[in-house]
Amino acid sequence: MNFWQRTLAILHKDLMAEWRTKERLSPMAFFSLLVLLVFNFSFELGGAALHEIGPGVLWSSFVFASLLGLSRSFADERENHSLDALLMAPGDRSAIYLGKMLGNLLFLLAVELICLPFFTLFFNLSPGWFLVPLLGVFFLGSACLSAAGTLFAAMSSNMRLRELLLPLLMLPMILPALISCVEATGLVLDHEWGESLYPHLKMLAVYAIVFIALSLMLFEYAVEE
Amino acid sequence: MKNISSASKILSILVFVSMLAALGAVFLYAPMEKEMGETQRIFYFHVPAAVSAFICFFLVFLGSVQYLRTRQTHWDRLALCSAELGVVFGLIVLITGPLWAKPIWGVYWRWEPRLTSMLITFTIYVAYLMVRTHGTRSGQAPRLAAVLGIVAFANVPLVYYSVDLWAAEQQLHPPRNVGLQPEMRYTLWICFAAYSLLLVQLLLRRLDLARIEEAVERLRQKRDELADY
Repeated sequence: MNFWQRTLAILHKDLMAEWRTKERLSPMAFFSLLVLLVFNFSFELGGAALHEIGPGVLWSSFVFASLLGLSRSFADERENHSLDALLMAPGDRSAIYLGKMLGNLLFLLAVELICLPFFTLFFNLSPGWFLVPLLGVFFLGSACLSAAGTLFAAMSSNMRLRELLLPLLMLPMILPALISCVEATGLVLDHEWGESLYPHLKMLAVYAIVFIALSLMLFEYAVEE
Repeated sequence: MKNISSASKILSILVFVSMLAALGAVFLYAPMEKEMGETQRIFYFHVPAAVSAFICFFLVFLGSVQYLRTRQTHWDRLALCSAELGVVFGLIVLITGPLWAKPIWGVYWRWEPRLTSMLITFTIYVAYLMVRTHGTRSGQAPRLAAVLGIVAFANVPLVYYSVDLWAAEQQLHPPRNVGLQPEMRYTLWICFAAYSLLLVQLLLRRLDLARIEEAVERLRQKRDELADY
C-alpha cells in the first residue's frame, strides 16, 4: 500500500466507525448549538450587535465543538489499544496523521453545515449568495483547526490530564487562524468579498499548509511509544 | 567543579557591574526625550527584555530540534530552561509596556498589534511550560516537549502576520527603526550588553540546577529500586 492508500484507509475506518456509533458528530453539533445559545443570552444577539460579534460567536462555537471531537479522535484508539496496532503497521506514520486530520476536517465541516441554518435563523440573516464564499471560509478555517488540532490531540492523548491539556495547548496556537476566520466571516457577512477578504484567506491557507507540513514531519515523534 | 564556580562568580560580577552601568546610563547619561519625558526611559529595559525573550524562544526551538535529532538530554534541558527564561523576559516586556502606555496612551492596555502578538506568544510558551510540568510522564516528556517547542516557534511569525492583518489601523507602538540620538543609542547598547550577560548567567545557573534536579531524580529512582528488593 502506498502513502495515499494508507491515508484513505484510516479515513475510511474513522468515517465507518462514526457512521456506526454516531458518538462524535451529534454531540459536537449539539454542543455547538448550545454555545450559540449561551452567547445569545450573554450578549443579547440578534440586534444591531450581530455584525460586530456574530462571526466571533460562530467561530467560538466551532472551536469548542472541534475540541470535543478532537479529544475523541485519539482517545478511542488509546482505550481500545488500537493505536499500537496502527503504529505497528509498516510504512510512514504520517499517513495516520493525514487520515485522522481529513476525518476531523470532515466532521467539523459537517458540524458547521448543521449549525449554519440555525445561525442564519437565530440571527435573522436572509439566505443569499454570500453563503458560497462563506463555505470557502469555513473550509479553510476548519482545515486550520483540524491541521493543528489533530497533532495536539495525538500528543495530548499520551499525556496525564489530557482533557485539560488539549484546550490549553490548542487555543493559544490556533489564535492566528481564528483571528483571520472571524475577520473573513465578518467581511463575507457584510458582502465584502474582494480585495479586503483576500489577505485573510491567504493567511488561513498559509497557516493550514504550515501546520500540515510541520505535523507530517513531527507526527512520528508525537506518537512514538 | 571549582573552575565552573569561579567562572560563574566572574560572570555574576560582570552582570552586576553591567547592570549598574545600564542604570547609570539610563538615568544619568541618556538625554530626556522631548515628547514623552521621563517615561521614555523604560524603553531601555523594555526593548532588551523583548530581544532576550525572543533569543530564549529561539533557543527552545534549537534545543527541541537538536533533541529530536540526537536524543541527548542536554538539548532538552536547554529547551526547558530557555522556555522558563523566555517567559520571565516576556513578563518583563508585558509589565514594562503597560507602565509606559499609561502616561502616553492614557490606558494601560490597548489591543494594539505589538502588544497582542507578544501576549499570544507569551501564552503559547506558558502552555508549553504547563504541559511540561503537569502533562507528561517522565520518559516521554522531552520528546513531546520538543515537538511542541518546534511548533510553537514556527507559529510565532504566523501570530505576528495575522495580528498585523487584524489590527493594521491600530498600529500605535513606536516603530522599531526609529532614529535615536547617539547618546540614546549608546545607552541602549549598554542595556543590551547588560541583558545579554544576565541572560547567559541565568541560563547557565538554571542549567546547573536542572542537572542537579536530574541527578536527585536518578538517586530517588535508585533508592526506590533498592527498597523494592
